[in-house]
Amino acid sequence: MGKKIQINKEFVDIMPQDYLDLVDNGTYESPNRGWKDFGTATELIAEHSLCAGCPESIAFRHIMASIPNPEDTVMVGSTGCTSLVFPMIAVHNIHSLFGNQNAIATGLKRALAVRFPDRVKDVIVLAGDGATVDIGLDMTLQSWFRKERFTTICFDNELYANTGGQESGLMQKGFLAKMAPVGKKFEKVRLPEIARESGCDYVAIMTASKPSLVEKVIKQAVLIAREVGPTYIQIYTPCILEIGKQSMEGLQEMRTSEAPGERFKFREFISPEAQSFLDGLAEKKKAEKLAATGATS
Amino acid sequence: MYNVAEVNAEECVAQKGCRLCIMYCPEANCIQMDTTKMVATIVESRCKGCELCVVVCDAAKHNAIKMVAR
Ligand code: SF4
Ligand code: SF4
Repeated sequence: MGKKIQINKEFVDIMPQDYLDLVDNGTYESPNRGWKDFGTATELIAEHSLCAGCPESIAFRHIMASIPNPEDTVMVGSTGCTSLVFPMIAVHNIHSLFGNQNAIATGLKRALAVRFPDRVKDVIVLAGDGATVDIGLDMTLQSWFRKERFTTICFDNELYANTGGQESGLMQKGFLAKMAPVGKKFEKVRLPEIARESGCDYVAIMTASKPSLVEKVIKQAVLIAREVGPTYIQIYTPCILEIGKQSMEGLQEMRTSEAPGERFKFREFISPEAQSFLDGLAEKKKAEKLAATGATS
Repeated sequence: MYNVAEVNAEECVAQKGCRLCIMYCPEANCIQMDTTKMVATIVESRCKGCELCVVVCDAAKHNAIKMVAR
């Protein structure tokens, strides 16, 4: 059992089993946490109300398993399908007004630095494309211009899903949705490129089809945000209902959309400062490994 | 009636390291690894019946999961 997450002894007997499981069998303070904990450790996300087969749930699971420091992380959410999941995650989180998430995260990150000067506190924004690119674009961009040190994750399902399928800035050109019947007339906003030009030190665009890749990207993004500057991850989480797919077809949809030349082909931008930070980390790991093998031989 | 997934322990190759269904099930804590028998096990009360586990298990030709009515 970790030291930071504990149940007050007086309350143990009245706590629900799920809560006890989280404390006893969760992955707080586990330095090598990752998707490999699935199936044996208790996940930091529980029964939520997203649709059967929703790829967003898959992405959420992968992310919750990968964030490096869950016991000292605060997540900021916004309005959308993601806000149905936040009450069911076992990490501190704040629901912001629609679009305000990066402004809230800015204040939060600064306040945490003042309140806990000796502790590492990570802030992670997780919001949909409507919140990130349309309604909250001002706040998103301004936080990057100011080089605020937190990670912004956008769950891109290319439309407004839980209000019935309206057009969003990240929708593809020409796409027809239930509430956008004439088809989108403009290109999908190139937010990854905009992020790079706006000051992000790490940018990735991907799907949630490979848990190992999601894990690697999330860890890099959070660590770079901690030490170097803002980071941005855009993950395709298709809304199977709005694009007319069956509940078991979400994974294939993600795989199809990340093929070479497709809009979610994995791309990554790493600034020189972030790259030298990552190189430093790799060096340190190598040295530690060497020391460990040296000690045993 | 509600459909849930069921693992056939004879067919499951988790022993050899397969974790496909556990990786891709959209529901958290829903497919667990029985570490004594080394087979994937469905927690029925959490299963939403999406069939994604069947798709990934079949694609790898293990055919160890089928949907059953409850
Ligand atoms: S995908 Fe199939 S074979 Fe693999 S662990 Fe799951 S049930 Fe077993
Ligand atoms: S049917 Fe869907 S929810 Fe149920 S165990 Fe399989 S993947 Fe998980």
